[in-house]
Amino acid sequence: MAMDELVARIIGVTKVYQKHKAAPPVHALAGVDLDLPRGQYLSIMGPSGSGKSTLMNIIGCLDRPTEGAYLLGGDDVAKMDDTELSRVRGRHLGFVFQAFNLIPQLTVQENVAVPLFYQGIPAGERNRRAAAVLERVELADRMSHRPAQLSGGQMQRVAIARALVNEPSILLADEPTGNLDTKTGDTILALFDELHAQGLTIVMVTHDPGMADRCERVVRLRDGLIDVDEVGGKRPVTSSSAV
Amino acid sequence: MIAQLQIDPTQLIEPWTARWFPQTLGSMLVGITCGVLGCFVVLRRMALIGDALSHAILPGVVVALLSLGWFGVQLDGLPPWFLAMWLLVGALGAGLLTAVLISLVQRKSRAKEDSAIGIAFTAMFAVGLILISSLPRGTHFDLECFIYGDPLAVQTPDLILMGVVCPAVLLTVALMYHRFKLISFDPVVAAAMGVSVAFAHYLLMGMLASTIVAGIKSTGVILVVAMVITPAAAAYQLTNRLWVMLVLAGTIGALSAGLGMSLAFMVNTPTGPAMVLVAALLFTLAVLFSPNHGWVFDRLRRLRLARHVAAEDVLKALYRLGPQPETGYVEPIGTETGLPPRKLVKTVARLCAEAVLTIEQGRLMLTQVGKRHARELVRAHRLWETYLVNEAGFTAEEVHATAEDLEHAHELSDALFEALGRPDQDPHGSEIPRREPG
Ligand SMILES: Nc1ncnc2c1ncn2[C@@H]1O[C@H](COP(=O)(O)OP(=O)(O)O)[C@@H](O)[C@H]1O
Ligand SMILES: [Mg+2]
Repeated sequence: MAMDELVARIIGVTKVYQKHKAAPPVHALAGVDLDLPRGQYLSIMGPSGSGKSTLMNIIGCLDRPTEGAYLLGGDDVAKMDDTELSRVRGRHLGFVFQAFNLIPQLTVQENVAVPLFYQGIPAGERNRRAAAVLERVELADRMSHRPAQLSGGQMQRVAIARALVNEPSILLADEPTGNLDTKTGDTILALFDELHAQGLTIVMVTHDPGMADRCERVVRLRDGLIDVDEVGGKRPVTSSSAV
Repeated sequence: MIAQLQIDPTQLIEPWTARWFPQTLGSMLVGITCGVLGCFVVLRRMALIGDALSHAILPGVVVALLSLGWFGVQLDGLPPWFLAMWLLVGALGAGLLTAVLISLVQRKSRAKEDSAIGIAFTAMFAVGLILISSLPRGTHFDLECFIYGDPLAVQTPDLILMGVVCPAVLLTVALMYHRFKLISFDPVVAAAMGVSVAFAHYLLMGMLASTIVAGIKSTGVILVVAMVITPAAAAYQLTNRLWVMLVLAGTIGALSAGLGMSLAFMVNTPTGPAMVLVAALLFTLAVLFSPNHGWVFDRLRRLRLARHVAAEDVLKALYRLGPQPETGYVEPIGTETGLPPRKLVKTVARLCAEAVLTIEQGRLMLTQVGKRHARELVRAHRLWETYLVNEAGFTAEEVHATAEDLEHAHELSDALFEALGRPDQDPHGSEIPRREPG
């Protein structure tokens, strides 16, 4: 697999929020260019209000840019309507949230299978695939537990399994360790390292300064612009180590 | 002038006779549908939008009627199903227009969402009221029935509308159940899982508008929103499971409509207010009697706990004071437990009946069972005192009152005993009784 193959291209993207005519517009993103090679582990950092979440929402197709283009797998997502965007999210993207956002009434296995439900995949296959990813995050023995019976770290691993179950081209994580203590957070980051080593493309928003050493690339935002785009501590994955 | 309510109980069954049964059945169908849709409205906190939709529909319906005149269509010659569908189209158009107006007001002015909704729907309603006066002479448009609801006015086109809209809506909810559930529960996750939140929102709005049009003749424009909100809110008191809530809300909606019809016939009032009154009554019952959150069961639970605590306090007092004269126990035990005499006498009577206390030769004393129970309590009290001093850092003088509360959790004694390293004495130097074998 060639390193320079791009999963996503962001070209001149701006996002302007304007509450009403008389209010001053907020340039949450003031013109961002970003190429995301397949298999890259990218972390987005920056002070509060610098536009990290806005950029994540655009990469995650939860929101459309005001101007600019966003190419994902060859399609310009910026031009898609809501239904098409929903399809893209369901099939090509995986999300991990700070607060885990599991469904308390469902078992671990059912939680992981939820994204497959909306793609019309039959129940047998849903359960099989959910079991398989739970194996990957080492929670195969917790399949019939409810989220309340798990620790915070285990819940986040279930959420990661749910994000992986549709074999996404990008895994998006917005401060995935924000609700965890340092030790548990480290085990979650180790899991991300492992997934990255297996070839997964990961974009993570984080405040943790130590993250710079863990990933290949750090993009620092300031006032809606890319301030610094630097190589992180970890060597880029070569094509031979990518699975 | 004093209004006179004419109450005629013989009219109670009138809605269930062949003459009115279709209207009653139709209203109940609308009641079910409103209740089911209402669950999502309540869970997504869109009650105000529901109110807006119902009012905004008026100009849509009037314009639909007017437009027939513009095309030179005679109302009388029209097949009823066509009129029904034509009115539905007008209502949906008005609903859509209101949605657009709301977002327009919100974006182009400083008004926040709730004000924007208020401005848009009242404006639409006003337009409707003005347009009514321009309806051609021959048109039968009964404003009063539109506002208050009137079963007399529910005719074949309305029944057709109910018969088409309600099953269609219920079927759609069944098909979309999982999506709606996820969106009501966690819209962020729903979006991330690839569910189109916007589509579901507009679908819900469209279904709501259609159901409101179908129900408006029997409930009236002002109160139809109550049929959406109240049964669902009542169901929400009773359960945390969505599908149970849907079933309950549908049932409460149907009951409100059916009983409301009877009530309306009995006291000879418009049907809308009667149905809404029944719904509000059922809501009140749900608030009072909900097993989990209800006021009544909450009081009962507290009462039971208070009784339990009183009984255990009496046991402990007798344990400490020894047997008391049958005729003179109120004073010393009352001082010891702080129970008022009447409660004390009742508690003692109950404990005698349970064979925990007994009266022998004119003296009130503990039975064997009572003694064992009292020892348990003393043990728990002293263990908790030990815990509070040794582990929680209180002084021996501070802990009595707290231990007095905690001792009622004596099922924890064994664990506490082990955790504290099997102590023999409490902080005041009193012996901690060992657990009795058996
Ligand atoms: N929905 C919104 N409406 C208006 N302003 C917004 C909205 N979302 C974000 N903003 C503004 O855009 C800027 C960037 O926000 P955000 O992307 O959330 O920053 P970060 O995640 O880095 O803290 C902030 O000034 C914020 O107030
Ligand atoms: Mg943020």
